[in-house]
This record gives sequence, C-alpha cells and structure tokens, in this order.
Amino acid sequence: MEDLKVTLKQQIIESLNLQGMKPEDIDDNAPLFGEGLGLDSIDSLEMMVLLERNYGIKIEDAREGRKVLQSVASMAEYIQQHRKI
Amino acid sequence: MMQPVYISAASALSPQHSFGTDAPLQPVMSSDNGRLYVQDADYSKFINPVAIRRMSRMLKIGISTGMDCLRQSGIEKPDGIITGTGRGSMRDMEIFLGDMLRLKEEALNPTYFIQSTYNSINGWLALQTKCTGYNQTYVHRGHSLEMALLDAQLLLNETTDKQHYLVGSFDEFTDEYFVVKNKIGYWKQPTPHSLDLYKHNDTPGSIGGEGSAFFMVTNEKENALFSIAALQMLQDYTPAEVDATITRILEENKILLRDVDVILCGMSGDSRFDGIYKPLFNNTTVHTTVGAFKHLCGEYDTSTGFALWLAAQAFKTQQVPDAIIQKKGINPSVKTVLIVNHYILNSASVMLLRANS
Repeated sequence: MEDLKVTLKQQIIESLNLQGMKPEDIDDNAPLFGEGLGLDSIDSLEMMVLLERNYGIKIEDAREGRKVLQSVASMAEYIQQHRKI
Repeated sequence: MMQPVYISAASALSPQHSFGTDAPLQPVMSSDNGRLYVQDADYSKFINPVAIRRMSRMLKIGISTGMDCLRQSGIEKPDGIITGTGRGSMRDMEIFLGDMLRLKEEALNPTYFIQSTYNSINGWLALQTKCTGYNQTYVHRGHSLEMALLDAQLLLNETTDKQHYLVGSFDEFTDEYFVVKNKIGYWKQPTPHSLDLYKHNDTPGSIGGEGSAFFMVTNEKENALFSIAALQMLQDYTPAEVDATITRILEENKILLRDVDVILCGMSGDSRFDGIYKPLFNNTTVHTTVGAFKHLCGEYDTSTGFALWLAAQAFKTQQVPDAIIQKKGINPSVKTVLIVNHYILNSASVMLLRANS
C-alpha cells in the first residue's frame, strides 16, 4: 500500500505538471482540491484519465469520483480494491 | 470611408529580442536550420502560478504578450479582446491527435484538447483581466491578424465612446509542422542561413517562423503611438493589383510615395511570391527606406504582427534598425510607414500607418 501511494504521488506530479514538487511533499490524507494541493476541476479530469490509463479504472458516477479523489490515501485504497491492470 | 484607429501600445514575443528590452533586435538572432523560434521570456511574471503549470508554450507566449501590452497601455480591462491565428496551439493539437491514435481514442487528456482550440488564449486573457466584453478569434490563414484589426476598426467606427480593444496574433512552429509542410514545398532546399534568405530569392520556399504580437487599438488619439490610416486585404492577387492598391491607398490619403518614410516588405525569399515587392524597390526614390522582416521572424500566417511591432518601434524611437534595411532612404524622420505582406496561398495585405501628430 505504501509503495502504491508513492507511485501514485509520482504519477499525479507528472500528470498535473506540479513543478518543483516531490512525492514526500504530498500528505497522504491532505485534500487534493481546495486548501490542500489547490487542484481544480480540470485536474480532476486529468486524474480520472490517470486512473483509467494506469489502473484500468473507469469511474462514471460523479459522486463516487468525488469520494475517490479526496486524497492520495482514498485514491490508493480505491485502486487496491478495483484495479484491473 | 472608415476613420483611422490608433495604436497606443505594442508588445511582441518573436525569434528576436523584442520583449521587455530597451535594445530590441540586439543582438540579431539567426538560424541555419530553416526555423526561427521565439525567444522565451519569464512567463511567470504574467500568468498566475497555478494556471501556468498546465499551459503549453503557445499559451504562455500569447498570454504574456497580451498582458504585457495591457501593462504598457495602462488599461487593466479592455473593452474587448480580438485575436488572429493561422494555426492556434499546434503542439497541443499534435499531442492530442497523437494520443488519439496511440490510445485508440480512449482515456484522452482533456488539457491538450482544451488548449488546442484557437480561442483558448482569448479565453485566458479574458479570465485574467475579468473582461466580459467582445471576444473573438479569427482563423483566416494569412489574413488572420488583418481580420482582427479590421474587426476592431469596425467596432471603433461604430461608437463615439472612447474604447480600447486588445488586438493580437499568435502562431507556433513545431518540428512536425516543418516536416509536413516541407512535403508541399513551403521551405527552401537547401536551407539557407536566415540572414542570407534574400540571396536565395531565385528558388521557391522560405524559412519557418513563429511569434506573437499584441496591440492596444483605440479611437482615443491622445497618447497614441500611431494610427492605422488604411488596411486592405487581397486574395488571389496579381502583383499589378497589389501595386494598384498601394497607389490607391496613397492617393486616398493624399500621400506621395516619396513621403512614405519606411516600407516594410514581407519578402520571404520565395521566387513564387516575391514579385509583388519588385515595384516597391523600383518605384521608391532616394527618400524612402525599404525594409524586410522575414529573415528575422520567419514565414508564418501572422507575421504582419511582427512587422506592425517593428513599425511601432520605428515610430517610438524615430529610427529604423539596420537589421531590416534593404535600401536606405534619406527621409530624416518616421512619420509614415507602409506594410506590404503576403502569405503562401495567395493572400496579401497593405497597411498604411501614420505618426500621431
């Protein structure tokens, strides 16, 4: 699980081009949107694409997506349960 | 007849040192691979850090040029934003189309698609300035910037209120574009050094370029750098028609050719198109300085923007840079400038500019 979180953080940094940021700068439980990393709605679309490309996960329910994308920890947990790749 | 409009500020990011410098075109930049790329600036000065991380180079170039023009003009929120581009954000489009093929149209990144649309720079400029006014992007190949300028002129001619429109252009050059257009003879073979472009004007093709230029266009004469007294576009022209258009414009504005201080020619070194500039060299007297600019910026759809920026510099400094002079004239000041430009696929434009006196 810890390895997955580090990989996921690296993928988020690359995918969203978070320049100057390292995986250790992202708190597992910090909110990704708003006060945390300060991501926006386009970033959420980019992260949906990230989940689909890297883990074969397609989230079609917006409410479910909101829960999954709350933090790195919630994303990692969802990936572990639903990954197809 | 349309009333002239005024330019109160000009900003350009180009393959030359043209942005945020007190010594434009110094030193003169050149290349020997047939491509001239924009000299990058510190874009973080003009775009907020959260937004910039997602932006492509074209977006950063276009937005920074527009914001710098606004800063120079002292106008925080223009009445409208009007741009012209022949190609938009090429790199984003190439990445998006490449991904479509590679990923079989599944899981495509939205950012490249959003940014590849022609009007994304206008949108960002509107967001940054909170401008909810008129917002338009013209994609008319070699007439894109001219159409944007004409639109601003029409809008300003319809009002008696003092208004200010941010008008600009942007085009990006990519390696992929070079390869594709090379197949249909856009580029010179063998590739000349950019500064020797006109020595090879007996063969077809040119060198590629890119750039962005923004202007504050207004009906307010005070503090303006110069006015656009006439703007004419020609499609499927003959050299004789271009010559006749220049004669007509000068007559309508009661100007003799000898009183034109500077003519900026869009010669591209292409034997198929440069014939329209011959009468300008032949008919001008010792009074007029004849200059060229595509050896400095390369050929692209909206290169008129670079010429218009050069004209703004000449009006401001009352000097014509040596790097553009092809035939030096004796007129001591810069009060009248004529820009004559063409683009591949038979579009040409003529623009008469006059100092604000």
